[in-house]
Amino acid sequence: MTPTRGGDSGSQDPDPDSIERIRQVLIRAVERHCPPALAAQREDLVQMALVRLLERPRGEGSNPRGASYLWRVAYTVVIDEIRRVRRQQRQAEQLPEGEQRTPGPEARSELLECLGALQDRRRTAVTLHLEGFRTAEVATALGWTEKQAENLVYRGLADLRACLEGGDT
Amino acid sequence: MTGPSDDLAQRFRAALPDTSDGDCPPADASWAAAAGELPFERVRALVDHAATCARCAEAWRILADVRRAAAADAAETVPGARPVPGPAPVRLPLRTRTLVPLALSAMAAVGLWVMLRPPPLHPLPVERGSGNTAAVRAESPEVQPARDAMLRWSEVPGATSYNVTVLTPDLIVLHQAVGISGRQLPLPESVRQRAAGGGLLWNVDAVMPDGRTVASPTFELRLR
Repeated sequence: MTPTRGGDSGSQDPDPDSIERIRQVLIRAVERHCPPALAAQREDLVQMALVRLLERPRGEGSNPRGASYLWRVAYTVVIDEIRRVRRQQRQAEQLPEGEQRTPGPEARSELLECLGALQDRRRTAVTLHLEGFRTAEVATALGWTEKQAENLVYRGLADLRACLEGGDT
Repeated sequence: MTGPSDDLAQRFRAALPDTSDGDCPPADASWAAAAGELPFERVRALVDHAATCARCAEAWRILADVRRAAAADAAETVPGARPVPGPAPVRLPLRTRTLVPLALSAMAAVGLWVMLRPPPLHPLPVERGSGNTAAVRAESPEVQPARDAMLRWSEVPGATSYNVTVLTPDLIVLHQAVGISGRQLPLPESVRQRAAGGGLLWNVDAVMPDGRTVASPTFELRLR
């Protein structure tokens, strides 16, 4: 569902330096994490997203926005833009007659099965870890202390390896 | 990410199916989760989804990078704040923890760090659930009649305005009101209809004069 917004970015324009910093970070992140076909469009993709961000309608508020809010909105518009580009690509791929999509990974992945068999807290911590979150960031997301997060990542990884080697989790 | 689990991270990426994003949660929900704004069960649901969806896993990896840069950015503007909410300087690779000599070195380093660390740091802005949670409280009842439902919250001294987000229990954003000068918001008719007989989640961001945001925890509201 599209969010119903009661207003938006307020009376102050975002600081151009902030926007440029955010743009550079987003470009690097897309380049680093997206497949080459999408990463090749990174500058256009990020630019489109930031244009959408800056063109968002002004609403009832007249509050200055914090830089952290700008980062958050920039992230969401870039992910939305990536999803939009992918939808377009999928639609384009469906047009040629009888063309087959590139086969995906194996339907049953041993790693995913082992991950799914972990205890809830360990699975959540390990999944975030495998997605690049540091221990302190896992702790923030899950409301744990850094020590708890470190223990759960460590034990979860040990369980995962044991499962992959044929042991129990 | 560097470390002893890099091989698993690569296998994890390779194993994820390239699914459609039709059912993927909104990107803002992932940000809220990473910021500690959501209860564990909600975060778990989002993370579990990302473990079945290459596209969302990719979005989480981008999220990790972006939040790290945002934290560094905030640290530059908030004197004394640490640049990255990352590991302490003494954090060791996980596997080495089993090695006694390195563990002893780590203990010595921890002791040194405790003695020499800088004074307490300012919390980063917008870290719901990580330091500012007591600043904004819900003042409206958790259970309310749907017809007159009203969201009320406590005052944050110095706040210039408030932003309110209303979500479904599965984190779909139903309504966002920005720049509210008062401390209450009547629940819009469209939201009441959507949530009739069920529950809602809501949270408040107090906007300070310097642009920082003081975030509330996520509150529950049940309509009857």
